Amino acid sequence: MTDAIPRSVRSFPSGERRPRAWWLVYIPLTILFIFAVAPLLLTWFTAFKTDQQQLVSPYGLPLPPTLDNLGEAWTVGRFSIYFKNSLIISIADVIGMVVISSLAGYAFARLRFPGQKLLLYGLLVGLTIPVAAIIIPLYLTMRDFHLLNTYSSVIIADIALAAPIFVFIMRAFFKDLPGELDDAARVDGANELQIFWQIMLPLARPGLMTVALLEFLWSWNDLLLPLVFLVSDDLRTLPVGMLFFQGRFTIDYGLMSAGVLILSLPVTLLFLIFQRDFVKGLASGALKG
Amino acid sequence: MIGFLGPRNEGRSAPVAFEHVVKRFGAVTAVDDLSLDVPDGEMLVLLGPSGCGKTTSLRMLAGLESISGGQIRIGDTVVNELPPRARDIAMVFQSYALYAHLTVYENLAYPLRVRKLPKAEIDRRVRDVAGVVQIGELLERKPKALSGGQRQRVALGRAIIRRPAVFLMDEPLSNLDAKLRLHTRGELKRFQRELATTTIYVTHDQAEAMTLADRLAIMDRGILQQVGRPKEVYAKPASVFVAGFLGSPPMNLLDVRVTSVAGSPGLEIAGTSIPATGSLGARLGTLAPDQREVILGVRPEEVALSRETSGDRVPGEVFVVEDLGNEILVTLDLGGQFVMARMPSDYPAEMGDHLWFGFDSERAHLFDTVSQRRIE
Repeated sequence: MTDAIPRSVRSFPSGERRPRAWWLVYIPLTILFIFAVAPLLLTWFTAFKTDQQQLVSPYGLPLPPTLDNLGEAWTVGRFSIYFKNSLIISIADVIGMVVISSLAGYAFARLRFPGQKLLLYGLLVGLTIPVAAIIIPLYLTMRDFHLLNTYSSVIIADIALAAPIFVFIMRAFFKDLPGELDDAARVDGANELQIFWQIMLPLARPGLMTVALLEFLWSWNDLLLPLVFLVSDDLRTLPVGMLFFQGRFTIDYGLMSAGVLILSLPVTLLFLIFQRDFVKGLASGALKG
Repeated sequence: MIGFLGPRNEGRSAPVAFEHVVKRFGAVTAVDDLSLDVPDGEMLVLLGPSGCGKTTSLRMLAGLESISGGQIRIGDTVVNELPPRARDIAMVFQSYALYAHLTVYENLAYPLRVRKLPKAEIDRRVRDVAGVVQIGELLERKPKALSGGQRQRVALGRAIIRRPAVFLMDEPLSNLDAKLRLHTRGELKRFQRELATTTIYVTHDQAEAMTLADRLAIMDRGILQQVGRPKEVYAKPASVFVAGFLGSPPMNLLDVRVTSVAGSPGLEIAGTSIPATGSLGARLGTLAPDQREVILGVRPEEVALSRETSGDRVPGEVFVVEDLGNEILVTLDLGGQFVMARMPSDYPAEMGDHLWFGFDSERAHLFDTVSQRRIE
């Protein structure tokens, strides 16, 4: 496959001079970038425009910007409540997932216990099940446990459904750590919990960052589970609120765009801040064994 | 120099004993009936090729590997069932196994920290040990920012800070470059002497083993071949394996036939019969009458080459000459069997020269073809 890439491009990262075929890389990337970012930017701009500005220059910059749409969405559109709900669920998801994936990943990677292979394969099966396929039994289970219309229903289901992939990611990270490390800690006098907590976990930090960020993204953007499990308007998350909001204020593009901004800005910022760790995490462990 | 331990690691060091120790991995026996006593304060080097069971033996002693049979003692305690932290040992690993997220100071302090020593005591000992292994200025650095030699010192420091009863070292020098390895080897020997603590050192490098060991224990395929002081083992290898493993270049081992020359015992080497004089003749005399074949061992430095023969030499052709600067290695083809000779660098030999191979019969070694054991 690498043969298809011109030789001059392949040597670019380490070479000093710009290769002749650089446009083969940059032009497709630029087009992709425009496709990915333009709709988002357009919506963000619209959020800061008055109705009149929207009509006069639908694609232009919001000059001067107005905060009216944002204010109205936040209060009248109840986005303050949705925001709080999303935050509670996403943070709980992240905490739960970091705890579970690091413990289970560590066990699968560095401990030996009966039934290990079987459990791992079971987990693999978990990777293949689409949520939509089991949403009805899941709903019935939540109902029988009297969890419907609580944060817990979404948090528990979120964690359970995403656990396989994150356990795999953490397993790969722990597997990558040198084999003699835990031996050294054992000889130095550490017990199993100390080895995990004081030695292994700090070294798997890039992995934990990846898990935390990805899980936050997923649960923040998740629509299906909160839509099905959370009936009361006071418990709705941002994506669900957005959905109903769309029904109520179909024509008000400014208000809707403000909703999109509130929904998308936190994850975008989070990603921009942590993208270095995120990419490093993915590259260093997650894709191996 | 190692003042914080007192002049010697008094009352702390303990002897080690392996008693019929066996380790099986499924159907594979990695260590087979190993019995070995290591007296208090001794530096014992476990030597052998990779896969010979030396590291497994060390790991069983450390408690990192379970024991399939027999028992291991440290001092008077049978440690078979004790976890590593209860065995009063410290270990230096091949990869050093430093904790990458901790500074050098925290690495050194870790064994004391998990034992919940008071902070002031930890601090005092870390600074003492850092002085001993000469890493005082590096305490605030992370392992990543250290050279190989510095990392090795930190690993060593982390081992001695505990004042354990036994040191275990698993090829601690093999990741260093050649020059640093020589230097560190010398230091290690001094440390061990000054600490006077029982040390078990695993290596596959025979030069390292010869120089460091009070006693050598050579293993092959899970079986202990020979134990003894390096000089003894070198002078009297107990088996063909030991003979071939110790020494660089290794001992020449020739398949020879037992004959008689004019009524007295002789050897037929590559079709040429020569008389076996002195103790060599006596040793041949102890063989069973029907044993016609033995293995003759001659160290390269004990090979004599000449351009003439007086009837006790074997003819050959120079196969290759390797110049090492201070000496040359001459390989002689005796008609299918090869002999390497270590000669002074000004020795005149060219490829294709016809030379005669001879040896000092008092210093030649004989081994049984079947059992591969030494014939005395």
